[in-house]
Amino acid sequence: MKQTAIYIHIPFCDHKCIYCDFYSIINYDNLNKYLTAIKKEIELRQKDFSEDREIISIFFGGGTPSFMTPGYIGEIINSITKNFSVRNDAEITLETNPGTVSKQKLKDFLSVGINRLSIGIQSFNDNELKFLTRIHDSQTAIETVNSAAQSGFNNISVDLIFNLPDQSKKMWKKNLDISVSLPITHISAYSLILERGTILNKMVLDGKVQMQDSDHDAELYETTIELLTNNRFSQYEVSNFAKENYECIHNNAYWRYKDYLGFGTSAHSFINGKRWWNYSSLNFYLEKMKNDNPVAGEEVLTNNQMHDEYIMLAMRSNGLDINDYENRFGSMWINKVQNDLTEYQSKGYLSIDDNFIKFTPKGYTLCDEIIGRLL
Amino acid sequence: MKHIRNFCIIAHIDHGKSTLADGLLENTHTISDREKRDQLLDSMDLERERGITIKSHAIQMKYKAEDGNLYTLNLIDTPGHVDFSYEVSRSLAACEGALLIVDAAQGVEAQTISNLYLAIEAGLEIIPVINKIDLPSAMTDTVKAQIIDLIGCDESEIILASAKDRIGIPEILEAIVNKIPPPKGDEAAPLQALIFDSVFDAYRGAVAYIRVFNGTIKEKDAIKFFAHDERYEAEEIGILKLGRIRTKELKAGDVGYLISGIKDVHDTKVGDTITHLKGGSEKPLPGYKEIKPMVYSGLFPVNSEDFEDLRDALDKFRLNDSSLVYAPETSAALGFGFRCGFLGMLHMEIVQERLEREFNQSIVTTLPNVEYIVYTKKGEKIIVDNPAEMPEAGNIDRVEEPYVKAQIVCPSDYVGTVMQLGMEKRGTYINTTYLDPTRADIHFEFPLSEIIFDFFDKLKSLSRGYASFDYEYIGYRESDLVKLDILLNGEKVDALSIIVHRNKSYEWGKKVSSKLKELIPQHMFEIAIQAAIGTKVISRTTVKALRKNVLAKCYGGDITRKRKLLEKQKEGKRRMKQVGNVEIPQEAFLAVLQIED
Repeated sequence: MKQTAIYIHIPFCDHKCIYCDFYSIINYDNLNKYLTAIKKEIELRQKDFSEDREIISIFFGGGTPSFMTPGYIGEIINSITKNFSVRNDAEITLETNPGTVSKQKLKDFLSVGINRLSIGIQSFNDNELKFLTRIHDSQTAIETVNSAAQSGFNNISVDLIFNLPDQSKKMWKKNLDISVSLPITHISAYSLILERGTILNKMVLDGKVQMQDSDHDAELYETTIELLTNNRFSQYEVSNFAKENYECIHNNAYWRYKDYLGFGTSAHSFINGKRWWNYSSLNFYLEKMKNDNPVAGEEVLTNNQMHDEYIMLAMRSNGLDINDYENRFGSMWINKVQNDLTEYQSKGYLSIDDNFIKFTPKGYTLCDEIIGRLL
Repeated sequence: MKHIRNFCIIAHIDHGKSTLADGLLENTHTISDREKRDQLLDSMDLERERGITIKSHAIQMKYKAEDGNLYTLNLIDTPGHVDFSYEVSRSLAACEGALLIVDAAQGVEAQTISNLYLAIEAGLEIIPVINKIDLPSAMTDTVKAQIIDLIGCDESEIILASAKDRIGIPEILEAIVNKIPPPKGDEAAPLQALIFDSVFDAYRGAVAYIRVFNGTIKEKDAIKFFAHDERYEAEEIGILKLGRIRTKELKAGDVGYLISGIKDVHDTKVGDTITHLKGGSEKPLPGYKEIKPMVYSGLFPVNSEDFEDLRDALDKFRLNDSSLVYAPETSAALGFGFRCGFLGMLHMEIVQERLEREFNQSIVTTLPNVEYIVYTKKGEKIIVDNPAEMPEAGNIDRVEEPYVKAQIVCPSDYVGTVMQLGMEKRGTYINTTYLDPTRADIHFEFPLSEIIFDFFDKLKSLSRGYASFDYEYIGYRESDLVKLDILLNGEKVDALSIIVHRNKSYEWGKKVSSKLKELIPQHMFEIAIQAAIGTKVISRTTVKALRKNVLAKCYGGDITRKRKLLEKQKEGKRRMKQVGNVEIPQEAFLAVLQIED
């Protein structure tokens, strides 16, 4: 049975945050049409991809999936369960924004099958939240996490953003301190990225906001790794930290090069070395689904491309499993970069044991630079 | 012979030489309407785009004059730029007269004056023409006064023209017939034919453009060239119209072409004399010299693996350009390439541009330099055309550099700023004369190295385009010159070394260092950028170590994008040049060329 993950994109949002470059819309007119289309797309893929596959994870991302009713989400889960063989212990995650869910609603999500929440906290500082144009304040953020725990969720992740303009190391540490004191199992901590097309990008270009330099960014990042690791959140990817046994199964599917199917606007799928992605515009997606073809683009990866992606993803996350790598690609590259690997090891960027090559915290900071040089 | 007139046109760039030539061709029905286009004689794309003439051309017209006779007029079109002054002098030598074209709105320019003097020295009859008299900004009377001052002619001799509107063309044709003397020479005397240019034809090899001074040359004649001892046979002989027209023979006074089975233009050297193998002339025509490059630069392929392609391109290029010289060169920073010698900066630009355009080469060039003479303490004399070959400072007794005599013509309002520029460029002021109360003619002596770089651009911009400039080589002089090296983490970047006057070395070092700091990407370690003379570091700056480089998010939808970034990064790395453990982007080498001195 081939282990496969499923991603569902829910594009609806209450409003667009200044840093966000995900596809989202703030108009709910097409909620029901979208539900119908998603279910149709699931059935469509069932024909080709359900055989000999077991679903290990379902992830509702957005947008703000927690804006949907539990019934809406439940219907999608049912459709997946009907069309694919979903493992009993499958991880089923819902991205949730503070302030969009009552305790009752959380309980209802639990009862339709959601067993993991990824809460978009971003910050516990009201000024920072205002800057990011989030709809919640720090109090709501803390309450949402506590409600989730009280409602019965025992696998809760929070998202945080660092290196905000004017954010000092002390301010960032406070965010981390609050996080680790909460009943959570997982933290994603992202350095603020300026994405093209975002409002923030325009603000920076117009000189209204100044980003901090990369030295400060590095310092905050190193602080993050140190503080979270000391609080028993192990780093298992550049931006992801988890308590023991709580690494996100869905994330690991991406990074360990497993197959995944994506449904809905802008969702990406990757099956047997072929990758495709859906139209990101809701109208387009709905229109194209009438003819059962929501795919906007696809690529069939060459061996070299798969090789590079595999290494890049493995190195970014838990490290390169040399046995698994050599089974897939042989040993030519490893032999070629042997000296470089040893040098990076001696300089403290990599740890290498018999069959694992993994970044040290210092190495993660320069991950892209080093991977770029190795490939 | 008495109905032949050989003439050329002397004009500053943009004063209307090509348009006037077009007018003459049209009036004499040398070209049909079908063949008509602008700048007929400039056949290269580059010539048309830039509005300049790079190669010499010749074209024959038949003109029925007012005296009822049919005349053969040979127009020899010459390059106007100082880089090609030797070619110009040989073209002038092939003529008996010259049209001096001056723009009614611009007046006399430096280049016009120097070429005019060459023509007067060669004994040519000068026909002054003021062109563009129809322009609203024309100052015909002022320009008349300038010309009278310059050649001492009578006002009535100056022809007023507008080549664009074909005004004055008939007058010019009559003046050519009436004022320019017919060629002298003896058809029966031993053969003397001057090569004033040669071009490469892919099917026929070298095609020499010749002017016969004495004797007659026929097809199948056994001939020789004075500059070397090979014997050849005259395979094809003819005259030049828009194309080649075979006539099988040329006599004293004629202008035409000769094809003789010579592979490339190196054996048909401009200025050489052709004679018969048997019963030929004892002596060549005067004025031949080997031309030597004045400016040198390294040419390297952007991708090291393209070295052989670049060699092929240069070999092909050389077939058509005997003044380009090159030899393989190895740089630690740029890999395998060629040290190339050029006649001047324009020539260098043209070669680079044609290599890129016509031969599809991507090249990186190093800073141009002149040829230095270094005397060592041991008494050796070393010619240095590449900073890398400069001996250690401790072994040098003295260094000499080439000097030029320069002439700058500009409106008198700009004399002050021109003086200042002259001083910045280590010029020695000689004197100023006035062509008329508003136009100054300033004379300087400069080290050639100071004017090959950005001098002309600066002069143009500080005079709002009104100043013109010309120079001629006068010889070597001693200077306080040093070799300045650029080091990255202690390793010399040989391609960035330059030979520079000691007083300017600090400023230069600082500018290059800060440019490099801008362009060298952060590495995982700190990079020290130093400028040094010998072991003495004169400036230092650093590129801070890269602290963080990692994309925060990489989920399902990000992977393709991330891989593409990686591929780009790999491609970028491939194009980097490595010195020690430091990777330098190509742009850094190009950016150094843009630095203002």
